[in-house]
Amino acid sequence: MTSERRSKTLTAVLMITPFVITYLTVFAYPVYKMFALSFTNAPLIGEGEWVGFDNYLKLLNQKLFLTSVWNTGYFVVLTVIPNTLIGLGLALMVVRLRGWLQSLILVLFFLPYILPVSVVTQIWEWVLDQQFGIAQNVIEFFTGRRISVFRDPLWAMPMVALVTIWWTNGFNLLLFIAGLRNIPADYYEAAMLDGATRWQCFKRITWPLIWPVTALVLTLQLILQLKIFDQVYLMTEGGPFNSTYVLLQLVYREAFRLNHGGIGSAVAVFLFLIIVTVSVLQYQLLRVRGR
Amino acid sequence: MSGIKLTGVSKSFGAVKVIHGVDIEIGQGEFAVFVGPSGCGKSTLLRMIAGLEETTGGEIRIDAEDVTHKEPSKRGVAMVFQSYALYPHLSVFDNMAFSLSIARRPKAEIETKVKAAAEILRLTDYLESKPSQLSGGQRQRVAIGRAIVREPRVFLFDEPLSNLDAELRVKMRMEIARLHRQIGATMVYVTHDQVEAMTLADRIVVLKAGVVQQTGAPLELYRNPDNMFVAGFIGSPGMNFLKARVVPGSGDRLTIELHDAPGVPFEIPARAGLAAGQEIFIGVRPEHITLGEREGGVGLAVTAEFIEELGGTGYLHALTTTGEEMTIECRGEDRPQPKQTVRLTLAPEEMFAFAGSGERLR
Repeated sequence: MTSERRSKTLTAVLMITPFVITYLTVFAYPVYKMFALSFTNAPLIGEGEWVGFDNYLKLLNQKLFLTSVWNTGYFVVLTVIPNTLIGLGLALMVVRLRGWLQSLILVLFFLPYILPVSVVTQIWEWVLDQQFGIAQNVIEFFTGRRISVFRDPLWAMPMVALVTIWWTNGFNLLLFIAGLRNIPADYYEAAMLDGATRWQCFKRITWPLIWPVTALVLTLQLILQLKIFDQVYLMTEGGPFNSTYVLLQLVYREAFRLNHGGIGSAVAVFLFLIIVTVSVLQYQLLRVRGR
Repeated sequence: MSGIKLTGVSKSFGAVKVIHGVDIEIGQGEFAVFVGPSGCGKSTLLRMIAGLEETTGGEIRIDAEDVTHKEPSKRGVAMVFQSYALYPHLSVFDNMAFSLSIARRPKAEIETKVKAAAEILRLTDYLESKPSQLSGGQRQRVAIGRAIVREPRVFLFDEPLSNLDAELRVKMRMEIARLHRQIGATMVYVTHDQVEAMTLADRIVVLKAGVVQQTGAPLELYRNPDNMFVAGFIGSPGMNFLKARVVPGSGDRLTIELHDAPGVPFEIPARAGLAAGQEIFIGVRPEHITLGEREGGVGLAVTAEFIEELGGTGYLHALTTTGEEMTIECRGEDRPQPKQTVRLTLAPEEMFAFAGSGERLR
């Protein structure tokens, strides 16, 4: 019996070893290193000297850091809730379709999600191009003029958010569709017999029952959007006038452009802590509300 | 007449017709059971009465009011679903109060009605529980409670007991019968279980492939089936069918001989008039066959296959000489052994005759 148990344990250890080694070398150690570096004045490559909380204090006095925090928050506000609501709204419509038509529409909405970010930003740079972009007709209709959206501090961030929503919404749609399909048709039939209107059905059945999926989508979105970098880097490079400068971009600038490994790590640690705190807090809050 | 009246009701899904011109009248306060094998259209018919399925042709009246194309909520019907359809995020109270709160009834009224229904169904202690905390039988009662609270003209039950275990099913059957006596509303109940139909119904509607085979009181269907399908479906275990041939006779009654007992002509309770030599079927219920040879009956030798033992009674499954399967009820201590040849006596008075097409010969 004991030898059997020992051999089972040995098998288990053997099977998880590859994962543990990989995890330690490519995740745990770099994370530890990032924390450690943030308390030194290290350059990008090589060790530095211990400087305590100097890097963090420097950041707090750096205007670009505060701008980046603000802009990242602004981007999260522009994307997380709208992206979730749009996903839910589309799912509610798509789920009413049947058979091949539903599959087709689903594929069309999911298609942007599989595109690489460079292609997505290229498409939208054309669509929003001041001279030839098709979207300029819409902008002109509402504002009376054509706007170079990525050069206008008022327009740049909302446009980056729009592109992000278009790019990532298919995935949310898919999660919501799965959630909606899990709600038995009987619930709606019983409500129909009770005389519930479509809005009452949504409010009293769909919304509470889809809530766990909504909470999940909101949390995933929050984590994803706090890490905004690629779209900004490719479309505006943080401009105009730093109006789209975000935290990850600051990490990139400090570490790779200015050779400040220590400060770069400090920004990364700051972002890491924000993501952990906010997402854990949010998920807990949403779960409690769900109950 | 009030109650429910279906006239020439039909239903097609695309080119497939599933209900073929059904005419049924269910009296006020009656307990009607739609019974039939799966796929016979009984649930579809119930959903058409509820308004959850569009009616393709014909007319549905409830309390003389034409509801054929009315919204489900405007028909005055409440339905208990097979899955119970309880909202998992709402308490028992809120589930039962759902229809009233949708209709924005005053709080006091909701509370009175829900509590009264909970009293009837012995759910008072569970009003704050969530459906997931209840047993199958309790959930079933909540589903019924949700219907009661609405005070509908008609209760519809769609195979409400099929998710329960056998013991609970018997208990709930009695509960539903009690409920019907207590509130006296018209109830329509769908099941594939003929025992449920027999025990609950005032009136049974037997359906097969979207066509009503026979309508009547349980014992009427048992004693006087219109065709082989009803004869075989009603009664448990099912009726035995044996091949027989018409032989020349002298009286007003049909004279036949069984393929399994050639040369033994006897008269059965059906009018004479069929040509000699015509092939027909004879139906005998397992409970109308006696073991051993008796005076005045028709003797038959069968080979015992196995015994289904229930304690007080047992069911002998046997094969006749021509290879027909038979089930025979054995009472008392007497139990044949497998492979043993068993002599049986069939009483001609208890026999039913059916034409080759399955129609009853009377």
